[in-house]
Formats: sequence, structure tokens, C-alpha cells
Amino acid sequence: MIDCMSDLLVAVLDDDADLAATVARLLTRNGVAARAFVAPQDILAMLPDRALGCVISDIQMGEMDGFAFADVLRVRDPAVALVFMTAWPTTAHAVDAVRRHGGLDYLEKPIDEPRLIAAVSEGLAWSKRERRIAAATASFTRREREVFNLLVRGHSNKEIAEHLAISARTVEDHRAAIVAKTKTNGLAQLVALSRGEET
Amino acid sequence: MISRATPPRTGSLLPGAAPKKREVPLLVAYAFSFAFLHWTASPWGGAGFFSLWYPPAGLRFAMLWNCGPRITPWLIVAELCADIATGVIHLGAPDTLQAMTGIMRPGITYGIAIAAVRHIAREHTDTLALPPMTLGLAAVAAPALNALMVVPFEALLPSDAGRYRIGVDIAISLTGLAVGDLLGILVLAPLLLWLAAVAGAPRRMRIAMPPLRPVLEDATVIGGCLLLTIALWRAGLGAQPAPGLLAGAWIGLRHGRIAAWLAILAQVLVFLPYSAGPLDDAARLELHLGIAAVVLVTWLAGSFSDAQKTSRAAIDKRNRLLFQAERLKTLRAMSVAVIHEISQPLSTLAIEAGHLRSVTQDLDPEIADSAALVDRKARALSDLVRRLRRFGGRDVDEPSPLPVAMLMQTACQIVAAEVRGSSGRLECAAVAPDLVVQAQEIELTQALVNLLRNAFAASPGETVSVRAYAVRGEARIEVANPVTVASASAGMGVGLVIARTIIEAHGGTLVREDETACIRFALTLPLLAGATI
Repeated sequence: MIDCMSDLLVAVLDDDADLAATVARLLTRNGVAARAFVAPQDILAMLPDRALGCVISDIQMGEMDGFAFADVLRVRDPAVALVFMTAWPTTAHAVDAVRRHGGLDYLEKPIDEPRLIAAVSEGLAWSKRERRIAAATASFTRREREVFNLLVRGHSNKEIAEHLAISARTVEDHRAAIVAKTKTNGLAQLVALSRGEET
Repeated sequence: MISRATPPRTGSLLPGAAPKKREVPLLVAYAFSFAFLHWTASPWGGAGFFSLWYPPAGLRFAMLWNCGPRITPWLIVAELCADIATGVIHLGAPDTLQAMTGIMRPGITYGIAIAAVRHIAREHTDTLALPPMTLGLAAVAAPALNALMVVPFEALLPSDAGRYRIGVDIAISLTGLAVGDLLGILVLAPLLLWLAAVAGAPRRMRIAMPPLRPVLEDATVIGGCLLLTIALWRAGLGAQPAPGLLAGAWIGLRHGRIAAWLAILAQVLVFLPYSAGPLDDAARLELHLGIAAVVLVTWLAGSFSDAQKTSRAAIDKRNRLLFQAERLKTLRAMSVAVIHEISQPLSTLAIEAGHLRSVTQDLDPEIADSAALVDRKARALSDLVRRLRRFGGRDVDEPSPLPVAMLMQTACQIVAAEVRGSSGRLECAAVAPDLVVQAQEIELTQALVNLLRNAFAASPGETVSVRAYAVRGEARIEVANPVTVASASAGMGVGLVIARTIIEAHGGTLVREDETACIRFALTLPLLAGATI
């Protein structure tokens, strides 16, 4: 059973409505909130009102194929995990799915259930992390984001000041603002935040 | 019994081999025939050469071509015996050694010429190396080499009253020798070789009547040319072979060797009685040179025509195979499409079956069992579809470590599905998991599938067994089927050829090892050392 993450929905997209519904039901049985879709437009229309954790998408579909849909989806919401499934597996597609379109896995039909569950579970966890980081850093200014990125990589105030060509004093001001906005206590918590861990 | 399917090479040059049992009476008959034919050649003799029409050369050539050059020493012995018995050589005479070497020379040179032509034919694949053409080339090469070798033989052992005059007349001597041999070979050898083929055929050869039209055409051409020759002769121009040359070339090129040989025979029958008459040596030599040219051109034209036919037949066969390959390609594309279409609904079925099994396991055992069975079958089907897709759907097949167990399982799954309709059974023995070969999976599976299909085609309704084990650093896969009454196969007969090609490309071998009650094909492949799968 997957950890219940009721706030994040899993969308199952396949132009074969029966298969989409079956996979959605399978996920629901495994404790995942899942919904079946037969057209990519239906999922895109749902955004951004409903946050998606993971999309399991077929590749060969009607007007918009799985890869084109993935690209559009990424622009609209970069924190959605993608898992591809296909009845026409090719090596080239498998490589593209992962490297170019950021897919977590490339599943061959008939679908291997344990592998599907594992991929969705990983996808949801990833999405949750991404959303947590995005939420925590949403209120940062551009400069604060730069300071935050260097800080969590272990740079000292002095090094950050040199790197960004600002004074150490200004770095300290930014750092105080970051801590205040994220309600964290110390560098360790900031690093944990940057990794999407709960603080 | 162990036999490679490739035909054994015949005619090695190893002279050490003793004659086979059936060749001994043949050699005795040869000695008698040789002596007789030698005697019949005397009317066409002249100064500096024995005869311008020498049929024993044809007999010698046919014998060597038929039995292979390895019989050369025994042929020479037979010729020596014949010549001693008929008094051609007088033992004890001062020039006995020279006479004997002179008699041995043709045998040796013929043997070398035939062996060389066969060797060249094995190494080359162009028209000149095709079967009828090799005989034609050997028929020209043997007398030519024999004539050329006279010079070194005479230089080493000069005879006082030599048959071949050294000096100004050497050209006449050698030409006479070559012409006599050439005529003898081209007139007699084809007939003798044909008779040998008829006698050696396992079943009675059916001699088909040739179609009337080519016969009429050839008869008209040869008749017309002979009439023209007679007309020229009557006009006082002597016996001119030029019209015969044209007729021979035409007939040979049009209708092949048999027609060419009949044309040669017709011309020889007209010219030889004339040249045996009161002609001086120079006129006879000139005429026979002309006849030799006619005979040579006719025979080579016939051989070339037949070689072209062989070549065309090979191209036709290849075209048929290509057509078959195209069809197979289409079939493959169709199968791949079908597999993909099946996999879509099968995904739904498999997931739902799994769900049904889990929700019914606590219900009535009958329901639970049914649901479990449906789930199991759906899983098996999913597995099969994945496997089939890997077999038929991949375009690039890179060599990779392949467990023999997996290879056998895939091939057996494919073939088992095909034989399910018949009463045949496939027995697939367990294979050690560490048996791994470096192979292109799809190709090698195809090879094994072909062997299994052949086995089922040869023994319909029987049990075909397949097993694999390691032996001397090799993986050995055996496909065995019981011997049954041969039935007509529906296949094209290319399955085995394809299997052998694939296996040999993997550095392996495919050997047929039959036993009394079973036909067995053994496939060996080099084992992959230190493979971890």
C-alpha cells in the first residue's frame, strides 16, 4: 500500500477508456487517489484547480501523443511526476521518455503491476518534495533565491558575498529574511528544506 | 553416422590413395580400350606426330574427370601395361626409359590440368567456374599442358629417334599432338562421361526427347554449313572448316552442350574419313587444325550456354528466396501489429483478473479457483506477449550474453503454439542456468525455431525432444525426432540453410547425427566464459 497522499491526485491517461479506468481502480485499491482520463485536454483543463502528483500517460494517442502532452504539462506544472506506458515499446522511445521528457519510468503493456505501483509511489514522493520546496521558496526575492541556493550548498557568508559581488552584511540581511520567511532554525533545517524534507 | 550437410570435395591430388574396389575392373577395361583406340588412331598419323585424331586422349580424360585426379598413377600403370602388351614399348631396348616417360607424360599432365581447373573452380564463382564450363576448360587445358610439357621432358631425356622433333619442326609436332588430343577429348569424353552418369545414377534416368523446333533448327544450320563446305571443296578451295565453325558456334550458344556435341560428331564424321585418305602431312595438319578450332569453339560455346543457364537458374532461385523473405517480412510486420493490438486489452484483462483473484480468495473455493485460474492464464499470456514482442518487434539485434535456457524457452514457446493443433509433442529438457552464449537473441531463436519446425515436419504427430548441455567449452543443443515415413514437406527447404548460416555466423556448427531410430541435429556454440546473468 502506498502512503496516503490524498491531496495529490494521480491521473491515468489512455485513449482506451477501459484500460485507463482499470489502472485508476488498481491505484485506488492501493490507496492512491487516481482518476482516469481519455484525452490530454481533460487533464490540462483541470489544472491548476486540482494539484496532480503523477500522470501515467499512454504514448500513442490520437491528436496529441504522450510526449507532446508531457511537454505541455511540464510548462503548466513542473512538479508533476510522469510515468509512460505503451503497447509499442521501442528503445528510442524509452530513452526519450526518460531523458527528454523527464519520465520516471517507461512501462510496457501488458503492465507489470508491482513496477507500476513502485513508479507511482516514487512519482508521488518526488512531486510532494518538489511542491514543498516550491512552497517554501515561493516568497523569496531573486537575490534571496540566489543566496539560498549557495547557502544550502555549504558556502560561507563571505564566499557568497564574493560570488554575488555584494557585501557580507547584505548576505547576512538576506539570510535573516530567508530564515524568517521559511520559519526555519539554522542551516541544517534550510538544507533539509532544499531537499524537500519536512522541517 | 556423422555427416556434414555440405557435399564432400572430390578429386584431391593425393596420389597415395589406392584404387577403390570398383575401379580395378574399370582400370583393366581401360587398358584394353586404350590399346584398341590407340591402334585405331594410326591412319591420321604423320611426320613428327603420332596421330591428328587421338581418341585414347578422350578415354583418359573421361576416366580422370570421372574418378578424380587421384587415380592418375594407376591410369599411367594401365597405359604402360597396354603399351608393353601391344609392343608399343620394347622392354630392353636402348630408349625404353625415354619411351616410358613419353607414355607417362600425358597421364601426369592431364591429372595436373584437371586438378588445377577444379581447384580454380572451387576458388572462384564467376561463369567460368560454373559446372559445365569447368569441364570445357579442362578439356582445353589438358592437351595444351601435355603439348607444352613435351619440351622439358625431351630436354631431360632426349630420345634418339624421337617422335617429337626438336628444332625447326617443334611447332608442327606440338600442334599435331595437341590437335589430336583435343579432338579425341572433345568427341569421345562427353559421350563417355554421359554414359558414366547414366550408369552411376541411383534411379534409371529418363531421357527426354528434345523439342522438335530446336532439333530442326540445328539440323538445318549444320546441314546448310556442311553443304557449303562441300560446295567450297568442289569449287577447288579444299576442305574449309569455316562454315562448320559458324554452325558450331551458333548451335552451341543456342542450345548448350548436348546439341554442341552432336554438331561436333556430325562434323567429325564428315571430315575424318576424308582426312584419313591420301592427303600429305601438311594438308592433313592444316585440316585438323581447322577441325580442332571448330570442335573447340562449338564445345566452349555449348559449355558457356549451359553455364549461363545454371547461372540464370541460381538467380531465379535467389529471386524466389528474396520473394519469400519479403513475404516473411510482411508477415513479421503483421505479427508485430497483432501482438501490439492484443497487449492493449490484455493489460486490462490481466489487472482485472489479478483484482478478481484477490477479492475472491476468501469466497467459495470454486469461485476462488476459477478467479485464480483466470489470473494465472492472463499472466502467462502477458508473459508470452512480452516475449513474442521481444522476438518479433526489435529491429536491431545486438550480440549480448544469452542464457541457453532462455533461448530454448522462447523457441519452444513459439513452436509449441504451432504444434498444439496436431498430436505432436515437444519435450524441452531443463537446462543449467549457467549455460550462457554470446549471441544475437532474435537470430539464434529463429535458427532453433527452424530446427524444431523441421523436426515436426519430418515426424508429424511424434515427440520432438530438445536438450542442452556443456561439452568441451561449448554449449550443445540437440534437437531429436524419431525416424518416420518421409512425408511431403510444405516448407521451401530454406529453414535449415538459414539455421546453419545463423549458427555459423555465431562461430558455432550445425551437425546432423543420425541414429537408427532417430534424426538428431546438434548445434554447438562457444560458451561465454565468466558470464554473469
